Amino acid sequence: MKKLLYILGLLAVSFGFVSCEPEFDNPLSEDVYHSGDADFSTYVSVGNSLTAGYTNGTLYKSAQSMSFPKILAGQMALAGGGEFTQPFLDDDINDVGGLLLFGNIIAAPKLVVDASQGTVEPINAMPTIEVSNLHPGPYNNMGVPGAKSFHLLAPGYGKLANIPLGKANPYYVRMASNENALVIQDAIAQQPTFFTLWIGNNDVLSYATSGGIGEDQTGNQDLTTYGPNDITDPGVFAYVYQQLLDALTATGAKGVVATIPDVSSIPFFTTIPYNPIPLTDQAQVDALNNAYAQYNAGLLQVVALGLLSPEEAALRTIHFQLGANAIVIEDESLTDLTSLNLPSIRQANAYDLVLLTAKSVIGQADPNNPQLIYGLTVPLEDKWILIPQEITSIRAATMAYNVAIEQLAAAKSIAVADMASIMLQLHDKLATEDGSIYTADYFNGSNLNELAFGLDGVHPNPRGYAIIANEFTKVINRMYNANMPLVNPSYYPTIPIVPSN
Amino acid sequence: MKKVLLLALFMLAYTSIYAGGYRVALQGQRMLGMAHAGLSVFDNPETAFFNPAGMSFLKDKFAVSFGVSGIISKVKFQNELYNWQAETQNPVGTPFYLYMTYQTDEHMSFGLAIYTPFGSSAVWDDGWTGSQIVREISMKVFYIQPSLAYKFSDMLSLSASLIMAYGNIEYDKDINRNLTDEEGNKTYASLQSGTVSQAGYALSMALRPSDKVSIGVNYRSEIILDAKYGTAEFYNVPDLLSQTLKKTAFSAKLPMPAELGMGISVRPTEKLLLAFDYNRTYWSVYEKLIINFASDDLDPSIADKYYQNTNTYRFGAAYQVNDKLAVRAGYYYDESPLTEGHFSPETPSLDSNNYTFGIGYQMDRLAVDFSLLYVDGKERTDYTIVRGEGTPYKFGGTYVSNAIIPGIGITYKIK
Repeated sequence: MKKLLYILGLLAVSFGFVSCEPEFDNPLSEDVYHSGDADFSTYVSVGNSLTAGYTNGTLYKSAQSMSFPKILAGQMALAGGGEFTQPFLDDDINDVGGLLLFGNIIAAPKLVVDASQGTVEPINAMPTIEVSNLHPGPYNNMGVPGAKSFHLLAPGYGKLANIPLGKANPYYVRMASNENALVIQDAIAQQPTFFTLWIGNNDVLSYATSGGIGEDQTGNQDLTTYGPNDITDPGVFAYVYQQLLDALTATGAKGVVATIPDVSSIPFFTTIPYNPIPLTDQAQVDALNNAYAQYNAGLLQVVALGLLSPEEAALRTIHFQLGANAIVIEDESLTDLTSLNLPSIRQANAYDLVLLTAKSVIGQADPNNPQLIYGLTVPLEDKWILIPQEITSIRAATMAYNVAIEQLAAAKSIAVADMASIMLQLHDKLATEDGSIYTADYFNGSNLNELAFGLDGVHPNPRGYAIIANEFTKVINRMYNANMPLVNPSYYPTIPIVPSN
Repeated sequence: MKKVLLLALFMLAYTSIYAGGYRVALQGQRMLGMAHAGLSVFDNPETAFFNPAGMSFLKDKFAVSFGVSGIISKVKFQNELYNWQAETQNPVGTPFYLYMTYQTDEHMSFGLAIYTPFGSSAVWDDGWTGSQIVREISMKVFYIQPSLAYKFSDMLSLSASLIMAYGNIEYDKDINRNLTDEEGNKTYASLQSGTVSQAGYALSMALRPSDKVSIGVNYRSEIILDAKYGTAEFYNVPDLLSQTLKKTAFSAKLPMPAELGMGISVRPTEKLLLAFDYNRTYWSVYEKLIINFASDDLDPSIADKYYQNTNTYRFGAAYQVNDKLAVRAGYYYDESPLTEGHFSPETPSLDSNNYTFGIGYQMDRLAVDFSLLYVDGKERTDYTIVRGEGTPYKFGGTYVSNAIIPGIGITYKIK
């Protein structure tokens, strides 16, 4: 029996000897990830809505927690990064975003898909974020939704009293360290050791999303004459960008700047085709053609008089048929023949971009006269369409901005994340590291898993922001010899869908 | 009564994943001490499992053997690209066996074996990144195998067995990588097969060409457990999908592969026994795991498996110190049946080096045997393709595992 006990003891010892945990040859310990030549201890992100985490038409609490800088800061935390604060949103108690100013709604809550109707609309809920409840920063995330490049240097941009005058930004008003602060001051006051700067999108985007109703200010450097929907002069942009970069690098911080995507690659402009109206009734086709017969005949007469080129007459001739039909639009770039009772209208074609928001009016009857249908008998106004001349202006400005960004960054040895290129890939198909496919398509009911954009058609959804954060990570790893892991976008939520609204 | 018995057996049959697919080779503490190389060792009732034909050569008219093991196992996972790290929190598995042998006359022997040849259990960290593949899984299978052996001569015995297999599988997995309820809790499915049974057979041959050499061959047939009336329930379902993800029935088939074994043992001296076994396990039958749901709203869940047949080589030795004490040791190499590109964390089986030790203590009619198995899983970096969420995607990383398995068995015999 003694022997038996001895044996048991021996077994117990050998058991203790081998009952250790399995170990990897190269375990993911603290020294695997590092910041290389960079210092992530104080990371400050500067930019607009894309930096703030804005999606589905607003900024709300859960979306902010998945902003690209927040994701990036999470990766930096594995490589010496410090705390990363974001503007106060704890008062977004129902997580719907939107804004109140003295109790009045000045920004709608987030867009959702109403599954019972198959429609996209603001969620049926009351915003709770009161702009006049100030929560002075500065915050590590200095993304200000709606900001153009020069707004980051604009005095009074954080002054509550300036909001009604259109000279202040409600998001910045809430987060500014004081009412006279500049966005860039609040950024550098934190003494960043690392920064991201992604600004300039709104310098063309507000012009584009308003259908080109603003002015192309290229050549005009007098900011006081600019309207909210104008294209910023590239010279102004380059000057402002230089100031921003000088400020951010003044104390030796490293960083990444990002290029401006071509706005025509985003779903806001690519979802509604130029010919969205199907006609199935020959009688209706005939009636429509009759309605425009006089206009078409008038064009021919003007050509005969030598006042109009035959090419423009052909472009303007309106013709309907069974099947898909192009909508009728206003085009102020056409030769003005209104004195001859010929309006500046034509049918849209593949060179035009129809805004996502036009979906709500195309094919709708005029409430005052049910006989009149938008897009058929009533031309769509300029604000619903980007015509080729407008697209050309946007592209020219975007390209000029990107040249400035690349040159100014190169001069300071600052890395560039080519978001313009990422957006082009998304426009086609972007495969992530695990083989998941993402596109820049708008939600169509069956592409939920591939969506990189939210329901406003302009801003990425959290998965899109994860893709963006990964691109920043890759650039930082490459340019600053760092090693940070990526995130997997597919673990982030897609668009919000509610059973009914 | 039958239900209660089954339940009790299932409670005991709790195993943990450690090697060789979901095969659990722990069918006798004596043989386990010497690498589980028991195909040609006919000196104890464990042969009722290893090679029922060997019952003919037992020295005792009646023998019974019972044993149980405790599996303490852990699998670790990491992925450097995404900084993913996870590990299993497996409960201690307790596979068991019970063997009875009885020689009716000079030629005829009966045997009964109840054992747990298959099983797996993996409980991954809460909220780990592979939870869309498996949150936790528990598979318990036991066989009840009555055998009849006929001794043709002192050299040859043949045996045939009937096998009744009983299985029970519980499998929890998230619906996909991001679906949650309104509070942010991951939506998951819980699949319960209920008790499934199926019959199979075994054939074996025992040869004793001389006093010093024994040879054994054993074949156990494939048994496909066909869960026809499983129950799928869904938890943390968002309101949006409350009509789609409702409790429903499901069906699925899981194969218990056939196994062919050949072994030879020699006694170079009176006190020393050396045994070598070769096992071929016909895993290639496991091509896909298809779960069909009764609800029309749910697409079948299809996972590619494409297992490959595996070879296991076992080398064992036993040394009789005196008439009471025996010490045993062994080594075997176990191949993973998982093929490249189909490495899934629900059965993260790795190639492994296995070291065994054993001690036996013989009293008058009673013997007590202790065994210890250490499974050293070889690190492997691999992935599986996951479907059901848009474009099929890769999930993978590096896996490593080990297991420590002490066991105790008792044998009682009557001459």
